Amino acid sequence: MAVQESAAQLSMTLKVQEYPTLKVPYETLNKRFRAAQKNIDRETSHVTMVVAELEKTLSSCPAVDSVVSLLDGVVEKLSVLKRKAVESIQAEGESARLCKRRIEHLKEHSSDQPAAASVWKRKRMDRMMVEHLLRCGYYNTAVKLARQSGIETREKALQSGRRKPAGRGPPGHGHAGIPAGHAHLPLQGPAGPGPVADADPAVPVRQLPAAPAGEQLRVHPHPAGRPLGHKDTCYKEDGSSRSPDCPVCSRSLNKLAQPLPMAHCANSRLVCKISGDVMNENNPPMMLPNGYVYGYNSLLSIRQDDKVVCPRTKEVFHFSQAEKVYIM
Amino acid sequence: MEQCASVEREVDKVLQKFLTYGQHCEQSLEELLHYVGQLRAELASAALQGTPLSATLSLVMSQCCRKIKDTVQKLASDHKDIHSSVSRVGKAIDRNFDSEICGVVSDTVWDSREKQQQILQMAILEHLYQQGMLSVAEELCQESTLNVDLDFKQPFLELNRILEALHEQDLGPALEWAVSHRQRLLELNSSLEFKLHRLHFIRLLAGGPEKQLEALSYARHFQPFARLHQREIQVMMGSLVYLRLGLEKSPYCHLLDNSHWAEICETFTRDACSLLGLSVESPLSVSFASGCVALPVLMNIKAVIEQRQCTGVWSHKDELPIEIELGMKCWYHSVFACPILRQQTSDSNPPIKLICGHVISRDALNKLINGGKLKCPYCPMEQNPADGKRIIF
Repeated sequence: MAVQESAAQLSMTLKVQEYPTLKVPYETLNKRFRAAQKNIDRETSHVTMVVAELEKTLSSCPAVDSVVSLLDGVVEKLSVLKRKAVESIQAEGESARLCKRRIEHLKEHSSDQPAAASVWKRKRMDRMMVEHLLRCGYYNTAVKLARQSGIETREKALQSGRRKPAGRGPPGHGHAGIPAGHAHLPLQGPAGPGPVADADPAVPVRQLPAAPAGEQLRVHPHPAGRPLGHKDTCYKEDGSSRSPDCPVCSRSLNKLAQPLPMAHCANSRLVCKISGDVMNENNPPMMLPNGYVYGYNSLLSIRQDDKVVCPRTKEVFHFSQAEKVYIM
Repeated sequence: MEQCASVEREVDKVLQKFLTYGQHCEQSLEELLHYVGQLRAELASAALQGTPLSATLSLVMSQCCRKIKDTVQKLASDHKDIHSSVSRVGKAIDRNFDSEICGVVSDTVWDSREKQQQILQMAILEHLYQQGMLSVAEELCQESTLNVDLDFKQPFLELNRILEALHEQDLGPALEWAVSHRQRLLELNSSLEFKLHRLHFIRLLAGGPEKQLEALSYARHFQPFARLHQREIQVMMGSLVYLRLGLEKSPYCHLLDNSHWAEICETFTRDACSLLGLSVESPLSVSFASGCVALPVLMNIKAVIEQRQCTGVWSHKDELPIEIELGMKCWYHSVFACPILRQQTSDSNPPIKLICGHVISRDALNKLINGGKLKCPYCPMEQNPADGKRIIF
């Protein structure tokens, strides 16, 4: 990877990026907890009602068969309570387990094996891309990408949250169903006015705001675009100083990065145009008589019969004409 | 790491509570049902139809009712108690992770959102092609109605085809490609073709003594590389001696290492990309990774700026307020910062080399002119300002 990220840096980034990843399953957990509580309360009140009725009849010297039939009613209500309680608790447990799975995935970023760390980074990028694609409404693409990079667990769940056509404005895709299903997809909930399948009106509000902050793919090229590029070199009219490796020089990002602020550089860093190597004490910068500067080692490598040809202007000079340049 | 750990602790507690509650709930309801069932059976079997309930039975019944009420209500309140643990999970998440990052980004920077989306879509498409996810790229083209012409896709398609073959240890397509681009590869000082031949030879060797003749006849492919790779060819020829004994036990066992395959894939990717004028990693992934590094740094400094209430420092327009370390591999262009004015040089303010060899920016040079003469700030050599030569890195 070109960009070096130490473990500490990864942790810091995690703190900033992964809020939605964990918050969404938490909100589902919360929702299910409340639903479970409601169910238990409702069934409990039913049972209490039937038992109260039984107690009333008991106090008035009843016949045995009426008691028996009332008892049957009690048994029935108790069974219903048991069934519903078990179901609700299972659903809650599932949400909690989903939370745990996501945390475990996030923890992998700091594993000891370097291969695992780079796989994690790649998955992170894929996750963000899938999220971005979903927000744009490119549903099928997102599914395909998720499948191919191995971050999707149950496609059933994805299909249940069928998105609305992209014609609707950026926030408000009907993703309500989706967050439930995935181990690794950090999906945002619906934003505000989006049509929500949820019965519970409180939930959409509590779901994450579809803040542009969530569109992290868009945000990332923003601060990044400029630490890499420099106004003059990447945007020269004739494209003469384009570097194939520099992302800001690439076609698409070039336009994207244009309005962004530049990187801050307090110290000089010199890179030889021929080899791409750093020019420092080990590879001192040498100026040819036409003013172009190259690294000493590169000049050695292009030297032929004591002459060098400037790669950019094609002028021929004597090797000894190169003067050493001192950069503080 | 710490953040994940603390959230995980809370989640584990909640899971534990759910488990115990679930078991407890099921068990107590089971017992209750059993008890009531027994009572009912007793009542029914006593064949006391139509007769009034006896006093003892009546007492037992009312006790039963009380018990049911108590158990059921306790279940409900126990469940409610779990609520605090659940909300603690949410609080842990809120405490350890930042929910807002839009403070760092100024949306007004882009004038047209649709255009920006389109360009971003293109970048994503490029990335997908480069990663070899061709079907996903096709799908994106369809859904976003972006038109991509074939010669944009073509090099990627070919690259991926060859890479896939290499992954399956099929050297054919790669060799074809290397031969057809031989001239340009030589210009790049690439030894790809030789390495491919070498790998094939080694594979033949691994086939055992039956392959000896085939290996020998294949060796004539090395002839054009004899000058550059003499030593390696010698090593391989030498290994033929051990063919009958088996190469694994010979001093040449390192030739059979599996890492050669991974290495050839890498070499091929690198050389093919430089030939095509592409970078090995897609621009999007490098941007994204740098963004990941930059984001927390920028947020921290924003917090500091707000705390110290000096909001004028960062005006979102010209320059980021702080340097972001991305590692040396990200130095794509030269940057010269004038040591005197501590500013980057530009076309309007280029670096100038003085006679003594020291380099400063033109603005700094103009500032140092004293009575028509200039004294270098580093070595006190006097010189004529006009003698300074503009340099280009």
